[in-house]
Amino acid sequence: MNSLQIFVLVLAAIFVLLLPFSPRIAFKYGRFALLLLVGTVMLMPFAWLICSAFKTTDAMSQYSFLPPLSEISAKTINLGNFRTLLAPQPTVQGPVTFWRYVTNSLFLASALTMVSLFFSSLGGYALAKHRFAGRNLFMIYMLASMTIPGVVLLAPNFAVIWRLGWMDSYKALIVPGAVGAFGIFLFRQAMLGVPNELIEAARIDGCSEFRIYLQLIMPLVRPMSGAFCLISFMGAWNAFLAPNIFLQTQSKLTLPVVLNQYMGTYVQQYGVFLAGTLLAMIPPAILFFSLQKEFISGLTSGAVKQ
Amino acid sequence: MKFPYGPAPLAILIIAVLTGIGLAVWVPLSQPPDYRPPDLVLATFVPEQAEVYRAAIPRFEAENHCKIEIELVDQKALQSRLQSALQVGADVPDMVELMYGTMGVFTKGPLEDVGLVDLTDKIKTSGLYDRLVTNRLSKWSSRGHVFALPHDLHPVLLVYRRDLVEQLGIDVNKLTTWDEFSRVGREVVKKTMRPDGVPEHYMIDMQSDGNDTLILLLLQHGVGMFDGAGNVTFDSPAALDVVCWYVKQVEGPGRISFPCGEGQNFAKAMIDGLCLFYFCPDWRSNRIELEIPSLSGKLALMPLPAWEPGGLRTSTWGGAGLAFTKQCRNFDLAWRLAMYLYYDKAQLGPRFTVTHILPPLKSAWDLPQLSEPSAFYSNQSLGREYAAMAPFVPEEHDFAYNSIANAKLSEAFTNASLYYKVHGDVGLREYARAELKRCADHVRLVMARNVFLKLQPPQVSEASGK
Amino acid sequence: MSAASPATRAPIGWRLRSRGTPYLFLFPYVAINLVFFLIPLIYATILAFYQTNGPARRAYVGWSNFTFVLKDPDFHKALWNTTIFAIFSIGLQLPLSLGLAMLLNAKNDRFKGIFRLAIFAPNLVGQVFVGVLFSVLFTPRYGLFNRGLQALTGWGLEQQWLGDSKLVMPAIIIAAMWMYVGFNMIYFLAALQNVDQNLIEAAKIDGAGPGHIFLNVIVPAIAPVATFVVVTSTIGSYQLFELPYNLLQNNGGGYGPSNSGLTIVGYLYQNAFTNGDLGTGAAVGWILTFIILIISLVQIRIVGSVGSET
Repeated sequence: MNSLQIFVLVLAAIFVLLLPFSPRIAFKYGRFALLLLVGTVMLMPFAWLICSAFKTTDAMSQYSFLPPLSEISAKTINLGNFRTLLAPQPTVQGPVTFWRYVTNSLFLASALTMVSLFFSSLGGYALAKHRFAGRNLFMIYMLASMTIPGVVLLAPNFAVIWRLGWMDSYKALIVPGAVGAFGIFLFRQAMLGVPNELIEAARIDGCSEFRIYLQLIMPLVRPMSGAFCLISFMGAWNAFLAPNIFLQTQSKLTLPVVLNQYMGTYVQQYGVFLAGTLLAMIPPAILFFSLQKEFISGLTSGAVKQ
Repeated sequence: MKFPYGPAPLAILIIAVLTGIGLAVWVPLSQPPDYRPPDLVLATFVPEQAEVYRAAIPRFEAENHCKIEIELVDQKALQSRLQSALQVGADVPDMVELMYGTMGVFTKGPLEDVGLVDLTDKIKTSGLYDRLVTNRLSKWSSRGHVFALPHDLHPVLLVYRRDLVEQLGIDVNKLTTWDEFSRVGREVVKKTMRPDGVPEHYMIDMQSDGNDTLILLLLQHGVGMFDGAGNVTFDSPAALDVVCWYVKQVEGPGRISFPCGEGQNFAKAMIDGLCLFYFCPDWRSNRIELEIPSLSGKLALMPLPAWEPGGLRTSTWGGAGLAFTKQCRNFDLAWRLAMYLYYDKAQLGPRFTVTHILPPLKSAWDLPQLSEPSAFYSNQSLGREYAAMAPFVPEEHDFAYNSIANAKLSEAFTNASLYYKVHGDVGLREYARAELKRCADHVRLVMARNVFLKLQPPQVSEASGK
Repeated sequence: MSAASPATRAPIGWRLRSRGTPYLFLFPYVAINLVFFLIPLIYATILAFYQTNGPARRAYVGWSNFTFVLKDPDFHKALWNTTIFAIFSIGLQLPLSLGLAMLLNAKNDRFKGIFRLAIFAPNLVGQVFVGVLFSVLFTPRYGLFNRGLQALTGWGLEQQWLGDSKLVMPAIIIAAMWMYVGFNMIYFLAALQNVDQNLIEAAKIDGAGPGHIFLNVIVPAIAPVATFVVVTSTIGSYQLFELPYNLLQNNGGGYGPSNSGLTIVGYLYQNAFTNGDLGTGAAVGWILTFIILIISLVQIRIVGSVGSET
């Protein structure tokens, strides 16, 4: 019997004890206990992350989380990792600081999200509310194209990007990802719920299709926009394979690529890497916090209640 | 009028515009006033090397009136980028530092297709051939033509916890053969067995999946993945001996080893003394010193036990080489840069102090920095210990199918290891032989599919007579 | 507004403009898809029938790439691994996500947001971190996972999750669960919140127990979302690549002892880049696409037939 086993048994015992008294409270407690356990398991890696970001190399090797209180001192817990992270790196184009990489990532993720939002919602509107020849065939093609793994196209894509002269530029990362079948389908799903009468009324009133799209439809599917923005931003923020291959100049690199450089082949600077990961988590976390409700409500098909 | 997409997209749009403007303004501002495009670009994947080179570059640039850019690229990205670029004829860096085992992919076709410059003649005419440890060149050659300059030799020694070894009463001078080492190892495991059946100390850190440590032992026994002619050799009788021996150290009642892994896990294992002995090529000696300062004074080095009395007592693990792409804009300048960065005796001394990597340049081994005693390693002199083994480092041959050969060897080994776990020694040798043959045949099949290799079959390399 | 089609009353100009719009609105997608998907795909397809070595050299080999792949025991292993992963992923992850969604849905207190963030948090970090994290967690003797498992069940301390060929796939499944259960949970949460409460109340009044309510009210209501999640999860599972790549990659490009962590896309990458044989890689890509299409069609057919019975 060790502490962990005892802890779990105690949790279960409380549930069993409450049951004869009041099933309602027992179940309420049971739900809470379960969620607490699951939440702890999910968050434990982050506790490790936070602790490790502040540990020195020696402390990192010796202790999983934090050294015992007796050992905590400026020698084991300090901001050394962050100092290394934020120190400017010399390159041919001049010294580059960590904040430059943050800006690169912010720009890439936000630009990609906006472009993607615009084109995907346009496409979704077209598929949802317009009938045209070959529409079903087109949708089947879009679905089928989603099944092809990206790695197949890596080398041919490389050839295309090079021939366009977009190597080592953000265009190579934004344009190919600007519109995807996934986004179009999400918006189509959301827009299917918009009543046709509203659209027809607007058409009769003399609105152009684009105005209908922009001023009538988009405000109605706002939750879906929020959800899509979150998914898109997080995907672009953490994207690794494509920037790793297409970006070459050190000053243009994005955060995931830069952090990966600390995990070299021969020497791996865990502390600096984890400190950087901790900082890199902040923007997506902020976005998720502010968009939580929209994210959930936006994902349902009926974004507009009839 | 409210933003039709909603508040969050509006915020993202503002961020996009602000950062976009910021970058557009920042980039020209941050460039140094004397910026001009570099004359040569050298791409490497090792951060420490990049730092060392960047520090060394200014003097070269001043002497030669040029601008050199050192690019740090993730190893896997470098690999796929270089391959894709060479495949389609795109721009590539002028010089590339390649990791061991990765050059083969570029040389798997006819020689004239190789995107790297053939250095064989230049090495001979510039006199470099006599100054280097020549059998290291096989690692970077294909069909007798050298395509990259060796950066290192990476001789392998054993590093051990001197304090624990003395405590347990082991005399390392008696550990001259692997059989003896194995015997002492079994005693250690038995002596330090805890009540719950888990030993306190294992003898040696060995990977249990048949990878790097198995391969280095094979090399020590004179067997590689391939021989000089490009034949698959890991199913030879000598290899079988090593595999059977290795299985018994990693599994079963006579187990003396534990896989301590890398990085943080390796460090923890060393601190706890989980294993007493660890394989230590020169690059690892530096890593240990940087990552585990608390072990200062507790470690020492010794040569590997030999396979037979009086036999070879070292091996090799890893390596990097510098290749010149055919698109190199200025080969003479690049060659001078390579000589400066790799083989400049004046720099190699201080560099050894920083990286502990032994250069393949024979004349550099008498540099004073190499004889300095190291307090971390119980006042042994790292340079002397490694330089003593350097001339005997076994020859390696790198071919295009290196990684698939490694994977197949690992597969054969894993199956043999499972067999041993279940059946013990009965029939182990026959089973292992069959497995090795099956896996080697698979590699031969894949190699035979390569239509380009048939156009120009591999010849015996000059460096070796094998 | 009457049900009579308003379009017949709108002037012809609107109709024409309306008809042109979908093409215009879909044009960005078509253009980008053409340049960055279709053309590379065609190029890759042609490549599947060749062996190449640099831009200048190409040799036609017919179907040999395909036949080699289909006969290659490594490919069979990859197929097996990927299928096992897909089955267990769907079978374990989705009920877990659904269960968590139901737990979270029933609570009406201030902790809901925190739990949602906690369970969704794994999606905030990148792939490289997940690889590093789990290679540290799964370390024999020192890894947190091993220590926790030992403390809880008395087994597992010395198990080499990433070094034992029988344990590599379970390790990958566990890592994937940690990563993806939050995302799927959000989908289910969204679906659950859309279930009409009146139906549940009616069933309760009729005296139905919770099991009955679940099977006959909730399941049909979330069926469309569930189908979507199952199909996309299957497709995603068959395309699994980055997780084993980051978790298992050491120097040589191995995927675990005797390829126990090799997935189909991993096999593709191995052929295309590690071995430098782009043609075979393209062949694998097509075989994979074929497999995914068949499985998706079968799934949709099954769901369709089940759905039409209720």
